[in-house]
Amino acid sequence: MSRRPPRGEYIETDTGNKVARKATLVGTQNIMLGGKTVIQPEVMIRGDLVRSIQSSSTSSSGGATPNNTAVAIGRYCFLSRGACLRPPGRLYKGAFTYMPLRMGDHVFVGPGSVIQAASIGSHVYIGARVVVGEFAILKDYVRVLDGTVIPPNMVVPSFTIVAGQPARVIGEVPEGGHEAFELRDLYKTVGNNPHPAPA
Amino acid sequence: MSSKRHSILPPISQPGPKPPVQFSSTITIADSAILTGTNPITIATESVIHPRAKIESSGGRITIGRRCVVHERVTLGAIGNSSSSQRPNNVTGGGETAVTLADYVTVEVGASIEAGDTYIGEGTTVGVGSKVGAGAVVGKHCTLTPHTHIRAGSSVPDFTVVYSNGMRRTDKRGVAELKNKGVARQIDVLRRMIPSNPSKFM
Repeated sequence: MSRRPPRGEYIETDTGNKVARKATLVGTQNIMLGGKTVIQPEVMIRGDLVRSIQSSSTSSSGGATPNNTAVAIGRYCFLSRGACLRPPGRLYKGAFTYMPLRMGDHVFVGPGSVIQAASIGSHVYIGARVVVGEFAILKDYVRVLDGTVIPPNMVVPSFTIVAGQPARVIGEVPEGGHEAFELRDLYKTVGNNPHPAPA
Repeated sequence: MSSKRHSILPPISQPGPKPPVQFSSTITIADSAILTGTNPITIATESVIHPRAKIESSGGRITIGRRCVVHERVTLGAIGNSSSSQRPNNVTGGGETAVTLADYVTVEVGASIEAGDTYIGEGTTVGVGSKVGAGAVVGKHCTLTPHTHIRAGSSVPDFTVVYSNGMRRTDKRGVAELKNKGVARQIDVLRRMIPSNPSKFM
């Protein structure tokens, strides 16, 4: 198949994305990766669930070409093994439509989490086995602990820690604690020739 | 647009035998759904099976009603390991019923419904990552919120909402009809989005 002899576990793109060969990406043409994003094996992204109703002149985002992005991911995001991203869907003006899922930079998604949020800010940490309900909004610097179930339409404010089933705000990110959300070092530890994690 | 880019769908190892299927002509079943087992699988009109959903009929017959939506990574008819000791007396055999979904049932991402005459009533939503044990009977228009675990052999009355690690309340909103209409709209959209390939499973 491949003419190049070493066939790594990851596909590394020019913009620095590392996409595992064993990831399931449906509708790739509707998935936007900002660069330096890691997609681990068994991740599933549903890019085929695109918006079926274009918003009328109010937003004028598309212009000539309709904007068909289903999932937009920023830089330095990390999608762990078994995570699933799918755009949220709802009834809008009497018809059903999916809406785009937007994710900022430095977002960590833990293993086995299912994300159906409308938007996720930057520097968000989502633990393992978390469920983010449809049209939830996570602002910047949010920490979601393992096993949390964020109900549909919940808005999680910046610098909060949420946990529970359903999710409740249980604390705040301490002052100076926002540096822990940096994912640059984590990015370097995966790929075809990974660097070891710094001590 | 870069139309050359294709979806990355790693090949699925086809485990076990190909089950006999009975499909309505109006269903939508993704090419990468996984159907396996020896007993018949019946899917009624206008139901949608998402990619990578797994339907296992080795524990008995699987019946999916009208306008059901089975999301990705769902396992219907899983052979339960946790519940083997407390399984009810109608233990799965050759021609037994494994799982029955009534009409308008939605099974969300990663949920698992075990084999063993398990029944999910009309209009019920099984939330993300939930687990319904063998022989459980879930009533009509119930909502199982994400990560709900329904024990094997237990029953859930009609219009129940199971939330927060097993707390229960009754849904008195009376929106069952509207919800069913919503599912019908959703299916209209999904039929256009998911390339259907029922012949692959015939």
